[in-house]
Amino acid sequence: MPSTIVAPATAPGQSAVALIRLSGPESLSVLRKVTRTDKIFAPREQVFCRLYDGEKVLDEALVTYFPAPRSFTGEDVVEFAVHGSPYIRGRLLEVLCACGAEPARRGEFSYRAFLNGKMDLLEAQGLCDLISAGNKAAHDLALSSLDGRLSEKLNAVKNALSEMLAELEARLDDVDEEMPPLNTAAAEQELLPQAGALARLADTFSVGRLIKEGLKAAIVGAPNCGKSSLLNALVGFDRAIVSEQSGTTRDTVEETLDLDGQKVILTDTAGIREHALDPAEREGMKRSLRAIEKADLVLFVADLTRELTPQEEALWDDVQKQDKPVILVLNKTDEAPRGRCALEGKTQYTAYVSCKNGEGLDGLKKQILAFVSAPQAQGEDGVMISNLRQYEAVLNAQTETESAAARLAAGAGLELCAEHLRGALGALKDLAGETTPDDILGIIFSKFCMGK
Amino acid sequence: MYEYPQIYDVIVIGGGHAGCEAALASAKTGAKTLLLTQSLDTIAQMSCNPSIGGIAKGQIVREIDALGGAMGRITDSAAVHYHMLNTGKGPAVHSPRVQCDKKAYQFNFKHTLELQPNLDVMQDEAAQIAVSDGAVSGVVTLRHTFYRAKTVVLTAGTFLAGTIHIGEEVFPGGRYNDMPSNELSKSLKALGLHIIRFKTGTPMRINARGVDFDKFRLQPSDDPFQPMSHFTDYAAQSKRKFLCCYITRTTEETDKILRENLNRSAMYSGKIHALGPRYCPSVEDKTKKFPDVKSHPLFLEPEGTNTEEFYIQGFSTSMPEEVQRALLKSVPGLENASITRPGYAIEYDFSDPMDLYPSLESKIVPGLFCAGQVNGTTGYEEAGGQGFVAGVNAARKTRGQEPFVLRRDEAYIGVLIDDLVTKGVNEPYRMFTSRAEYRILLRNDNADLRLCPHGFALGTLDPQYKPAFEKYRAEVERLKADPSYSVDETGLYPWTAEKVRFHVDVYQKYAGYYERNKKDAEKLAQAENIVIPEGFDPSAVKGILIESSQKLKTVRPRTLGQAARIPGVTPADIQLLAIHIERYRRLQHARKNG
Repeated sequence: MPSTIVAPATAPGQSAVALIRLSGPESLSVLRKVTRTDKIFAPREQVFCRLYDGEKVLDEALVTYFPAPRSFTGEDVVEFAVHGSPYIRGRLLEVLCACGAEPARRGEFSYRAFLNGKMDLLEAQGLCDLISAGNKAAHDLALSSLDGRLSEKLNAVKNALSEMLAELEARLDDVDEEMPPLNTAAAEQELLPQAGALARLADTFSVGRLIKEGLKAAIVGAPNCGKSSLLNALVGFDRAIVSEQSGTTRDTVEETLDLDGQKVILTDTAGIREHALDPAEREGMKRSLRAIEKADLVLFVADLTRELTPQEEALWDDVQKQDKPVILVLNKTDEAPRGRCALEGKTQYTAYVSCKNGEGLDGLKKQILAFVSAPQAQGEDGVMISNLRQYEAVLNAQTETESAAARLAAGAGLELCAEHLRGALGALKDLAGETTPDDILGIIFSKFCMGK
Repeated sequence: MYEYPQIYDVIVIGGGHAGCEAALASAKTGAKTLLLTQSLDTIAQMSCNPSIGGIAKGQIVREIDALGGAMGRITDSAAVHYHMLNTGKGPAVHSPRVQCDKKAYQFNFKHTLELQPNLDVMQDEAAQIAVSDGAVSGVVTLRHTFYRAKTVVLTAGTFLAGTIHIGEEVFPGGRYNDMPSNELSKSLKALGLHIIRFKTGTPMRINARGVDFDKFRLQPSDDPFQPMSHFTDYAAQSKRKFLCCYITRTTEETDKILRENLNRSAMYSGKIHALGPRYCPSVEDKTKKFPDVKSHPLFLEPEGTNTEEFYIQGFSTSMPEEVQRALLKSVPGLENASITRPGYAIEYDFSDPMDLYPSLESKIVPGLFCAGQVNGTTGYEEAGGQGFVAGVNAARKTRGQEPFVLRRDEAYIGVLIDDLVTKGVNEPYRMFTSRAEYRILLRNDNADLRLCPHGFALGTLDPQYKPAFEKYRAEVERLKADPSYSVDETGLYPWTAEKVRFHVDVYQKYAGYYERNKKDAEKLAQAENIVIPEGFDPSAVKGILIESSQKLKTVRPRTLGQAARIPGVTPADIQLLAIHIERYRRLQHARKNG
């Protein structure tokens, strides 16, 4: 039985309506789970449905059910027309996966359509080009060191799980009972950190965390360059105190924004000055630095009406050191022309705005949202998961590792714990390479004196 | 040259564990079959230990038995000691092992072959595999007889260019006292088969007169026990006389002797270059690789009822004879034992199993099938399983039938053959339960449910068992559905109500895992159903990786599933293959209709 796959059918980015497509034998059952209903869906008829994320409603959508074989792929297909926000789209994909679907591979819908006779030979050629391009790219990526730190992490987990599996397998094969029994408490203690490492990796996946928790953007800049005004302009009302006298914002101010359905948490930081005068201001500045550390994105605000101060230049360098994505926001386009700031052209992302008359704010919003669509979220050491397939794989590996630990703790048979460890290693196969029985036997025979 | 008047469907070369099963299976399906062996007196000889079964191997014997093969039944007919291994662990890894009277085993097997209709047995040594028009046409023997046949099954064991080592002594032999088949090895090379060399070893045998058995730990035969065969009558079997096995350990003195003489072992004096099995190391290997382990277990197995000879498992060695004597005396209780046959190492040729299809037919010489140690495996059980499949398929080919291939989720035999033909071997291949990804499904207690239907369909399993098997299967389903159901025993024999309950118990214990394995297995079955058409070259598909293309060229997979299991072939490669297979199919179809 083929798996049931899911993917967006419309291009990523902003659009009024996004189409999510589900294909495979479980399509109808997934549809019933996500709509929390067991009603009959008439073939090829648009139905208005609520889609649930746990207890709460995620979105209201138009849903169409195409039973096999009269569908795009020739399998049972369900199409969801949902509101086109990255949050809803991303979260719905996750929810559908939790209901039993799996993320589609590149070209997989067309692939199935072809195999089911829904596509002719000429169309298939384009499909082949698409798949082989992906094949090569994935292969090159695996070979290059681009992904080096991620594969290093996953390999460390894979090796630890393989070693543990070898411990179990060696005991399953040990007829002479030469080996001391497995210390299950110690084994559990070895597995849990691996599950933890996988959990931390899974957390770096932006369509997981950014969408659930919101994108954290820190607004930084010299005193009185318009940070709070920017926050207010984006939020649309006077949340933070704004004053002409520099150094007014002594605390960090957080504001949650709904930018076209995407949750964004803006943090307005105290202006960072070298010689802060009163203790409250110094405390505020400490918090600002911490806010930058926690942020997914930094909005560096500068005033177009004046030259950069040495402090601002130093602050820019500090922000660069943090290795965070930065948008350079140049304020006061209503008062001064472009091209005067020394930082212009030094960074990939620049926005020209006027907080006073609202000019350029839409462009800035789009740039902020682009960071959600093109994931930039990073783990503590810069390692991150970048797509839903990887995320599912890491999450599965984590669940299996936790199950193995739980089975060990419960005193279950070693062959059952081994099932879960094999499951975890199997989930990591596409990311960290296959672990074959021969690999496990290799560990056993190098570590243990076994055999008749 | 004398041309034998009879034309056979199938000729089996070799009368070992693979050859015997191959010949029986072929004949049972109705093919006129000839078994050629160097010596009728060494038919089904247990060249190494006098036992059948073991971890994962026991499951294979149960599978052979359920398919209608002979190994399980003959094991019971020669049994002197039953032991179910791993009973302290889960039922998926319970493995039966049976000590046999090794002479009784081979005599009973020989007698079984003699009674089998459609099967002739001839004592003669194959020297050359005859080929005409690019396919097998028969076998020429050392005494220049030409036997014509449509297919040939090669089961030459360790006899191809075998060389025996005992310390500094080196001499030709296929087994101690038996000549190697040097002509045949040359003939295979001439046919273009890729011949590689492996080594293996066997421990010394002793005369137990004067042995102080009080110094050992006793391992009595299980009581109650599980017969190896599904079809053995328990009551009758339990009246047999059983013997004991004994367990002891090597000492510091053993370790010292090994260490002092390490460079005199054939393994370490540079005489042997071939690779040996890691899991079946010689005792000097263990000392060298694990210097901290000062004591190793030894297991004394009786060689039979009418003999004082014992086999010492754990004492496999290629040390000179005098060192072997010293080793023996270093073990408490064995001081007064004497060596009857020294241990030795043997190097032998085998044929690369990557040259075979999953049917075990050669890709290089159509009509030639290979099974057993000649494919780079070790073990009687692994040999028997391959022998059965090769015998069945050689016979099926003569009738133009599709090959019989077991999937990885159906049988250890399926795992074994798929591993051999898809991944090849880099040491003598032994089965382990860890090689089976569907370990929860492949158990000794459900071998019958998995494979008897195949046995009936192939014609290798006696149809008289069919009603009882169907009844057993129905009773299992009823008890699964209703735990309070009282099993009906009428017409169930040789199955029993107890067996029904035991099986359902195991099923319940594994319930969640069973479903998990089954779900994966369904995906596997789906990929196995996509057959790569004849004439379609998967390595020529555009867009697949160069590395994958090379591997596809070597393995020449028969199904998309097999292609996916080749190490290094990517999921995108498989997608491209699937599209091009479908494309090829459509083009062929269009051509036929246009």
